[in-house]
Amino acid sequence: MIEALKEMFSFEHVKLDAVWQATYETLIMTSVATVFAFVIGVILGLILFLSSRKKGRTNGPVYGATSFVVNLFRAIPFIILIILLMPFTKVLMGTIMGVWGAMPALIIGSAPFYARLAEIALKEIDKGVIEAAESMGIRTLELIYKVLIPESLPALVSGITVTAIMLVGSTAIAGVIGAGGLGSLAYMVGFTRNQPDVTLVATIVILIIVFAIQIIGDSVAKAIDKR
Amino acid sequence: MIDILKVSKIFETKSQKIEAVKDVSLTIDKGEIFGIIGYSGAGKSTLIRLLNGLELPTSGEIIIGDDSIGALSKKELRKKRQKVSMIFQHFNLLWSRTVKENIMMPLEIAGLKKEEREKRADELIDLVGLRGREHNYPSELSGGQKQRVGIARALSNRPEVLLCDEATSALDPETTEEVLNLLLEIRETLGLTIVLITHEMEVIRKICDRAAVMEDGRVVEVAPVLKLFQNPEHGVTKRFVRDDIDDEDTELQIESIKKTFPNATILKLGFVGTGARAPIVSMLVKKFDLDINILSGNIKNTNEESYGHLYIAVNITEELLYAVIDELSKENVKVEVAQ
Ligand SMILES: Nc1ncnc2c1ncn2[C@@H]1O[C@H](COP(=O)(O)OP(=O)(O)OP(=O)(O)O)[C@@H](O)[C@H]1O
Ligand SMILES: [Mg+2]
Repeated sequence: MIEALKEMFSFEHVKLDAVWQATYETLIMTSVATVFAFVIGVILGLILFLSSRKKGRTNGPVYGATSFVVNLFRAIPFIILIILLMPFTKVLMGTIMGVWGAMPALIIGSAPFYARLAEIALKEIDKGVIEAAESMGIRTLELIYKVLIPESLPALVSGITVTAIMLVGSTAIAGVIGAGGLGSLAYMVGFTRNQPDVTLVATIVILIIVFAIQIIGDSVAKAIDKR
Repeated sequence: MIDILKVSKIFETKSQKIEAVKDVSLTIDKGEIFGIIGYSGAGKSTLIRLLNGLELPTSGEIIIGDDSIGALSKKELRKKRQKVSMIFQHFNLLWSRTVKENIMMPLEIAGLKKEEREKRADELIDLVGLRGREHNYPSELSGGQKQRVGIARALSNRPEVLLCDEATSALDPETTEEVLNLLLEIRETLGLTIVLITHEMEVIRKICDRAAVMEDGRVVEVAPVLKLFQNPEHGVTKRFVRDDIDDEDTELQIESIKKTFPNATILKLGFVGTGARAPIVSMLVKKFDLDINILSGNIKNTNEESYGHLYIAVNITEELLYAVIDELSKENVKVEVAQ
């Protein structure tokens, strides 16, 4: 027991450049996937929102189809999604390994999740404000960028913060099956070579990244909220 | 200016059909301040939303200026809405924009250049008295100030018609007064037509020229405001008028007066305009040598006329009573014998 702890805190196997490299890969995967999840998620969220508020008793085929696709991809466990997407990834990215090999699964796994958060954020907008904009004769496109996005921005930012943190976790899972990054470091080096000090360092770096995302996200959401 | 022709609106929800507006026909003149009053659920909001096409009628037609609202294409309707603007009970400002940016929003939609937008917004900020607050966010303003922004925003594209959906219902009495005065001023200076809905008779009394009373989707009475107050015909109108005047107190008083002066006749003298200023009581005393007991009195001002009533108790013979009624009618005072 004491021996194990001693070994864990010895940090004798930790190679700084390997840690830097893994951190860099995790940050790349997380940030690129977050950007895509944001763009795709907002678009899907807008489609869900706009197609559900049209007059009439039911939500219509657009809502139904989008909602189905979003639910479908959200229901697939991430680890299975990676495996499922491998043939597609191979064609699209030319590889299924490394940072870029992980990207399609990361994006497809997180965008539908964020789409729901975006839909919720849009639904929170005061109906009266939308009505006021319509009473001015606004076009749908203007409604989107003058009203819907600015008025829901704090909630959209909070949502993307949650999504980015989820993505840090996803990159770690992807790391185990060859994507690189801190998850890969913890598993391939820390676990398979029995170097628990490396696993500990990887964990600490992941925690720092997660806390940093949370703090940045919270302060941005607060700064833009003029309510 | 506005013609509402046999308009009905039926909402179909999952469980039921709600007929919110039933066969309403109204004509509103250019430059008029037209009020629509009714209790909650009477269909006022639905009716006013039909005017700018936020809702479409199930049947009937709405004509504003030269356009039939239902016949406009989507694009034409958007254009029309720049000339038929709206203010709201809860202001509906964008919290993400400053006062000035809110006011400029309809101008952006109308496609004005930045310079022109700024210039127009500055004029409007002065018009509604918000100089110095133009860079504040709505959350930093009071309710009255928010409604001023709402009004400035609605006026930015120089509309011909201004629709007000309970524009003062969220404000305290003093602020209500301010906003109403602003609306009157706007009508004078800009000459636009104002349609406002409310459940407060006071609002109708203070600024409207004519008003319609709605109950359960129907318009049950339309008349010039003074007529509504003096001579309400429908039960709902009477209730609104009585609530505004607080007549219930007087009725209670009459009961107790009758007990104290069992032989006295109680008269309600109703007067309008000039009659409200004539010294009728002293005239009665001098001319008919009557002992008059004043029970209660009341004068209210509409936007152009004052009207009011006076309850008096007198010991009077029937013969003399007719003479008094005759004399008073010369002064335009209406006499009712209270039972
Ligand atoms: N979109 C809608 N779908 C279904 N029913 C509706 C809709 N809008 C209004 N109604 C119904 O129509 C009726 C009239 O509503 P409306 O909002 O016009 O009343 P109102 O006179 O403005 O009342 P308030 O003073 O409370 O604002 C109500 O019974 C309401 O429930
Ligand atoms: Mg209403």
